[in-house]
Amino acid sequence: MALNTCHIDTAIPAASTLDFFYTLAMVSFRRSNPGPVRYSAGTLAKKGLSGDDWPRVWRDHELKSTYDVVIIGGGVHGLATAYYLATNHGITNVAVLDKGYLGGGGSGRNTAIVRSNYLTPEGVAFYDRSLTLYNSMAADLNINVMFSERGHMTLAHTDSALRTMHWRAEVNKLQGIDSSVIDPQEVKKLAPSLDVSSHPRYPILGALHHPPGGIIRHDAVVWGYARGADHAGVHLHQKTEVLDILCEGGELADGKGAGGKVTGVRTNRGDISAPIVVNCTAGWGSLISNMAGVKLPINTHPLEAAVTEPVKVFLPTVVVSGSLHVYVSQTDRGELVFGASVDPLATYSMRGSLSFTEELAGHILELMPGISKMRLLRQWAGLCDMTPDYSPIMGFTPVEGHLTDVGWGTYGFKAGPVSGEQMAECIATQQTPKLIAPFKLSRFETGELVGEKGAAAVGH
Amino acid sequence: MLLVPCPNCGPRNQSDLRLLGAAVPRPNPNTATRAEWGEYLYLRENPADWLQETWYCRAGCRTYFTLERHQATNEFRNPPMPGDKVGNSTYTTITVGSSGKQAGANEGDRK
Repeated sequence: MALNTCHIDTAIPAASTLDFFYTLAMVSFRRSNPGPVRYSAGTLAKKGLSGDDWPRVWRDHELKSTYDVVIIGGGVHGLATAYYLATNHGITNVAVLDKGYLGGGGSGRNTAIVRSNYLTPEGVAFYDRSLTLYNSMAADLNINVMFSERGHMTLAHTDSALRTMHWRAEVNKLQGIDSSVIDPQEVKKLAPSLDVSSHPRYPILGALHHPPGGIIRHDAVVWGYARGADHAGVHLHQKTEVLDILCEGGELADGKGAGGKVTGVRTNRGDISAPIVVNCTAGWGSLISNMAGVKLPINTHPLEAAVTEPVKVFLPTVVVSGSLHVYVSQTDRGELVFGASVDPLATYSMRGSLSFTEELAGHILELMPGISKMRLLRQWAGLCDMTPDYSPIMGFTPVEGHLTDVGWGTYGFKAGPVSGEQMAECIATQQTPKLIAPFKLSRFETGELVGEKGAAAVGH
Repeated sequence: MLLVPCPNCGPRNQSDLRLLGAAVPRPNPNTATRAEWGEYLYLRENPADWLQETWYCRAGCRTYFTLERHQATNEFRNPPMPGDKVGNSTYTTITVGSSGKQAGANEGDRK
């Protein structure tokens, strides 16, 4: 790739000479292929002075009739899987299919919080790897993901909640995660706008403080992985809906089901033959795997979120309250972003509800009475594939060649990078990596559930 | 907030009821295999289509009943009325916690 010229970005002292060659290289390169450009202050200055257009972040391709790997779902999980397949394992004949646009599902609807203070050792190890990848993502993907490591605070309003916080803190510390229980005075120091008096119905008795947690710009994460995958040779196909997964040899009709193997997918743009089809969707996860005759223990629930008008910065950390079913953070623009628990009704409908706004307002004013005059700008919903134990379903299925990375409930975004990395390893080596082995589909038959309900969601 | 057509109480706010998910028959505990139990405990139909679901009218008549709801549009179809025959069962008051078959748990033709 001609872009190797850009080592200059790391060799700052000699930048001026090298920049000259870089410009020459870029000019000749651009003529032959208006492809990738490395993002840097140097490139920005050159683009600004020359007035050149920036190349498109990723390219469109014709749909080929055959790929080595087809990934269904162009969100963080699918794109990260494609990216790591290409970069870590050299498998580049890969297609990512999305029925809408890249990052239009859960990846664009979440509240962008990342953390690793989970409850089970399996969960902690997994999400900590994800946080490590998020930490170096801006450099790895050469895109500004605006990661803000501002700390994450889970409030305890009851004695039992406080006990769970202590439990989580101990599990976290054993795994080497920075996590501790703090008292209301320390809570007040970290987030002065919180009401820590004994006055509210649910007084703040303490909190689990997790300094490495924070927020990140979710769209940039999607674009970064899409751009990286595209540069590495992966084909990204938007507006390409999978209508069926083609199988042979299985026990059900059309060769689907256990004992069979995948031969390809049928899309609205034609058939693709592929020996490996990976389901990286959310919301529609169970429907997609049903196409291969694989039943998943998933119920789809919408989760609603809302954002306020922007104000000056006053909330320096992420605040979560399980009892009050709310989490809140302030974006770099100054808006407060709220999320809640999943709606109790399982549905594929993403319509907002008044009861959500009403409950959200009531709960958030319990925590922060001072923001009562703030106005909500908008609310939206995304679909969450909830599993019985609040852990995902990853790896192989009874149908050969059909892998899943689904069931991510309300916590899929923060796991995106590590899921991609591990799924890529799973596909390339055809063996389940240790980190995702606990999340196998067969656990629901053998009873080896990974119970994350105490830490994975606020709705309980 | 949905208006849920309770067969005894009429249209009620969704918050008055609890949705217990797709209606599935309980396997015989004496003969069920491990896989069947796993399926009964965890596997539920999750279509973006019509589905028979069990509801519990917790703030009203406190009965369990099944309703057919479209999972993508949230419409209800053919809600039963008190005394309706549904399959082999009749929608009458079922005491909470009583053993035996739940009314309407089997999928029959709707009138």
